[in-house]
Amino acid sequence: MVITPKINDADVIFNPKTFHYHTTMSVDEIILRSRFQPLKRILAYDVFNTGFNGWMTLLPNFTEYPDFDVPKTLVNKDQWPPVMLSSATYRYPGTHGAMSGTFSLKLSTRPVHSRYEDIPAPGSMGHAIKRLSFYTPGSRFLQIECWFSYTAEQDTLDSDDHPQPGLHERSIRAFGMGFDIQERGERYQVGVRHLNCFNGNLVQRWEIENSADVTDKEWAFGLEGDWCKRGIDPWWFGRRYPDGRHEAFQIIPDSHQQLIYNETDCKLNWQYMRLKIDTLNREYVEFQCQDRIWDLRGTHVTNVPGYHRIDNLINPLFWVETDEDRRVFFYIDSVVVSQE
Amino acid sequence: MKQFNASHLEIKKWFTGTLYTHPYEAGWADEAIFFVMIEHEKGDGPTLTARVEISHDGVVWASDGSGPVTFSGKGLHPIKVQPNFGNWLRLAVEIEGGELFLNIQIHCKG
Repeated sequence: MVITPKINDADVIFNPKTFHYHTTMSVDEIILRSRFQPLKRILAYDVFNTGFNGWMTLLPNFTEYPDFDVPKTLVNKDQWPPVMLSSATYRYPGTHGAMSGTFSLKLSTRPVHSRYEDIPAPGSMGHAIKRLSFYTPGSRFLQIECWFSYTAEQDTLDSDDHPQPGLHERSIRAFGMGFDIQERGERYQVGVRHLNCFNGNLVQRWEIENSADVTDKEWAFGLEGDWCKRGIDPWWFGRRYPDGRHEAFQIIPDSHQQLIYNETDCKLNWQYMRLKIDTLNREYVEFQCQDRIWDLRGTHVTNVPGYHRIDNLINPLFWVETDEDRRVFFYIDSVVVSQE
Repeated sequence: MKQFNASHLEIKKWFTGTLYTHPYEAGWADEAIFFVMIEHEKGDGPTLTARVEISHDGVVWASDGSGPVTFSGKGLHPIKVQPNFGNWLRLAVEIEGGELFLNIQIHCKG
């Protein structure tokens, strides 16, 4: 389509049906408006082909005596591997690249796992986080949307009685995105995960972070020895069960969705997802993946009294988890965080 | 302006014997340095020998052609990676004579 910018139209209000003809938007802004559905104020638009843009690995706090030690914990979090800028380079096809250039942000796991219902093994997850804050008075909605892909490491063949011993989709337990938020003195973590496979059972459904009615001790696997609050750190807390239930997550009805996992572990298809929440009423609003949209209105978040010194915090984050002793990877081409 | 990034590879953990750092993609960078920090040690003067390895897929690894580097003692021990490393990098580490409490980072610029 031919774009004919008009020099004096810089103030034209965005209209998705006509913007091709009536604005002076840069190519970057046209791509932003075409690939994403940002709310009125864009807090972050990160295309990872340009760099890390402040996204880093989530690690524990180094605050303890005598040597900047890590507080005692039930779940070892210093084994989550580093996030990196990936060219998605594989043995046979070479470099896959990204949707917006050569590099995407890659989360990975170590080749270790525990059974679904056990405490996550050190290194069985990878987390990426960016640290932001509220800035607009009266802001109600908060949204994260991204273009992503995922794959398992093309390391060794599975048993040769398997029809496709070199296809490792079942190694990917889950991936997801969401926020860590504190506003008006309440902290909550909201997010959505694709539970792909647990203990080898391929389920491929979407679930939102929302805690069952359990005690703080039950939230911490019934164990003492950690600072645990129901609803906080749902990625690795909350008891999990052999039937796939997780006390930290709530299944979105009718959410079975087979995403594109394209024939081999070295093909990536870039896919879209978007989560919108209401920080005024503290509830979920909507989730979209590919061309499907789920209405989540009326689902309240799990909030707890706020922590010291982090009011107005907005930390968007992504994570990935492995279901086998194999590295799995989650790639993000670009992400938009927006508010209105 | 150039890009720079430091990533952890191992944090505050005891090691002995052989370890390989997590496969790391650094194709965007022109230069890379592994920083090995020995925070504590146990045993009879343990030594650490490190070799830089490169890969075409992050699964199969080969020496980058540089010689192994051996050191001992608490403190910071940088290992500068030869240029032309391509994309995938890891450090192959052999610890003898005891245990070492390590932090390992990779710093990249390009």
